[in-house]
Amino acid sequence: MKKNEISYYPEIMMFVETQLLSNLRAEGITEVCIFWKSGELTSKIRELICEFPDKCMCLDEYSRNTPPLNLDIFCVVTDGIKFEIVILEIKLRESVGLNQWSQLLGYNLVSDAKYGLLISIDAGASDRLTRILTMDADSSRIVRKKENGTEIEHLLGFMRWNTVTKNFEYSNLGQISSLSSLSSALIAQFK
Amino acid sequence: MNTDKAYILGLVIGGGVWGNAEDVFRIRLLFKQWGSYKINPKRAADISRDVMKMVSPLFRAIYNIAISYDTSASGVWNILCEGDLSILKAELEECGIKCVGEIRKTANISKIVPKLVDDNLKRRFIAGLADTIGSTKSTHRRFNDDKQMVSFEISGFEFGFVCSLCKLLHSIGCYPDQILWNHPNFHCGNNPYDTKWKKGFKLRVYLDQYEKFGAFAFVSKALSAKENQALETEENKAIPCEVREIRKPSVTCVHCDEDSKLLPAEIRGGHYLHNRHVCAVLACQHAPYSQVSKLIKKAEYYINPFPVLVKGTTAEIKQRLESEPILKNRIYRSMDVRISDLYNQPEYALLYGDGDESGYPLAKIILAVTYLIAAQTNRLNGTRPKGNKDEIITEYLADNQFAAVSIWLPEIMTPLVVQMKSHAALVGPNNPKVYKKLIQPCPENEYKIKIRAIQEEDFG
Repeated sequence: MKKNEISYYPEIMMFVETQLLSNLRAEGITEVCIFWKSGELTSKIRELICEFPDKCMCLDEYSRNTPPLNLDIFCVVTDGIKFEIVILEIKLRESVGLNQWSQLLGYNLVSDAKYGLLISIDAGASDRLTRILTMDADSSRIVRKKENGTEIEHLLGFMRWNTVTKNFEYSNLGQISSLSSLSSALIAQFK
Repeated sequence: MNTDKAYILGLVIGGGVWGNAEDVFRIRLLFKQWGSYKINPKRAADISRDVMKMVSPLFRAIYNIAISYDTSASGVWNILCEGDLSILKAELEECGIKCVGEIRKTANISKIVPKLVDDNLKRRFIAGLADTIGSTKSTHRRFNDDKQMVSFEISGFEFGFVCSLCKLLHSIGCYPDQILWNHPNFHCGNNPYDTKWKKGFKLRVYLDQYEKFGAFAFVSKALSAKENQALETEENKAIPCEVREIRKPSVTCVHCDEDSKLLPAEIRGGHYLHNRHVCAVLACQHAPYSQVSKLIKKAEYYINPFPVLVKGTTAEIKQRLESEPILKNRIYRSMDVRISDLYNQPEYALLYGDGDESGYPLAKIILAVTYLIAAQTNRLNGTRPKGNKDEIITEYLADNQFAAVSIWLPEIMTPLVVQMKSHAALVGPNNPKVYKKLIQPCPENEYKIKIRAIQEEDFG
C-alpha cells in the first residue's frame, strides 16, 4: 500500500533530531533540546510551554506575537534561554517546484523562523527551482528588516528523503545544504 | 566531527586510495560480481545512482569536492574525488590517518573512535564503512539461508583496526558473530605449506543486528540487504562476546608462515586455536578470557604439527615427503583399503592409532578419498571437489563397488598417504600426548602460545 506524506513525518523527525543532537554533542553542547510538533504553530507552541515549561517558557512572548500558521512539521531548538525554530515542509510528489519553495518561504517570513527545509520524498527539485536556487543565493538567504529596526535572517534549503535508506540525500540547493550546515549554524548560536 | 563527516570518514577509510596527485583520490569499491553491470545491470544502475545522487552532493556540501566514477565488468567501482583536498586531508591526518596508498590496509582508527561521542555518530561512521567494505552477498550466511550476514571485508594486516571496528560495533549493541582473521591458522588450517593464506579479514555480523543498529546509505546495499533478509524465516540475535560459548575448534596445522613479518608483532609467532583466541591476545575487553584459557589448557587436542590434509598429484605428495626428514625417514607400509570399508565407519573414528585419543581422523581420510575420486572423474575445481562429498562417493561406489585406495602407513605417527592412481593426499594424525610437548607459552602474553617443530625424539 502506498504511504501518504504524513506517514513519513516520524522517521524524518527522528532522523533530523538524531543528527542535530549528535552534532551539538560533538561540540560539547548538551543542554539543548529539540521538540517537535505538527500542525498550527502558535497553539502547538503553547502546548510545548505547558509540557516542558523549563525549556520552553522562553517561547511565551513569541507564541503571543506570532499569527496562526498551519505547518507540516516544525521543531523548536532551545536551551531554555534562547530558541530557534526550524520549519520542515514535506512534499510527496514527482517533483518539487517554485510553488512549494514559495510556500516554505512564506511560512518562514510569517513566523520569523530562521531555518526552513523543503524536503521532497524520493524526488528531486524541478529544473526551474534548481536553476533559481543555483543562480541566486538570495533566494534561500533572506535578511529582513522589521518595522522595529531589528534584522531577521532566514536560511532555507532543499533536501531529498530517501525512503529506502531512511537517509537524506543532499542537493546543494539553498543555504542549508546539509544537516551539518544546519547544525553548524545552531552550534554558533548555542555555544 | 559531525554526522556527515563521520559517514565520509567511513567511506574514505573503507575505500580510499591515494596516489601522488594533490587534487584527486579515489574511493575504490571492490564489489566484484555483486556490483558488476554484466551480471546485475539493475544493481549497477542503483550503485551509479548512489554515487551521483548521494555521495556526490554530500562531498560537494561538506568539502566542495567534485565526484565522478568509473567501473568495469569485473564489478570494481572507482569514485573519483577531485578538487581542493586540503581540508579533508588535514582532518584525516588529525585523526591519525595517513593519506597514502590504500588506507584500509594501514588504517588505525584509535584517534577517530573518541570523536564519535554518541551511538549515532558511531553508526554514521560504520555506515560509511559498510557502504564500501560491507559485503551483502547472500552467500555470507551461517550454515543456511536463515542466518544472513553483513561481512566487513578488510585487506592488509591491521589487526588493531579490525579489533577497533569490532569494539565499535559492540559498543552500539551490534555484536559481531565471527571474525576471520587474516592469519594462516584461519585461512589455511589444513595445509601448512600453502602460502596463499593472505585473503584478508572478514568481520561478520548478523544482518538483522546490523539493520537494527547500523545503516546503509547506498540504496543498492539497502535493497540487497532486504533481499537477503527475505530469505530468513526468523530474526537472528547475536550474543555479546563475553557470554557466548566457544565451540570446540577443529584441529588446525602449525603453518610455516606463523612467523611472517607481515603479521603485527603482538600476533607474530603465535598459534591460534580459535578466532576469539586472537581477541584475547589483542587484549580486547570483550574477549571470553576464561573460555580461551580452557582451550589453551587443552591445546594439544586442537593442533597438528603435521599437515591436517594436503592434496596433490602423487608426484607432488612424494616430493613433499622427500622435503622433510621426519616424513622422509619413515618406513611406509602400503595397503589397499576398500573405499566402502572406510565410508561405512563412523566419521569421528580415529584409525591406526595407539590409544583412544590418537590416530588418523577418518573424516579427513574420507575428504582425501573424495578428492581422489573427484580427480579421477574430472570433478575437481583446483583441489576442491565439485559437489557434495557423500554424492561423489556414493555415485562412484555405485559403479565401482570394490574400488580401493592405497594407504601408505608410516611406522610412527607421522602423516599417512592416501593414494589413487595419479593423485594422493597427506593426512596427519591426532596425537595429543605427543603434541602437548610442543606447546610453549609466550612470556610477553599469557594467552599467546607457540608450537615448536616436532622431532622424532618427541615420539619416544
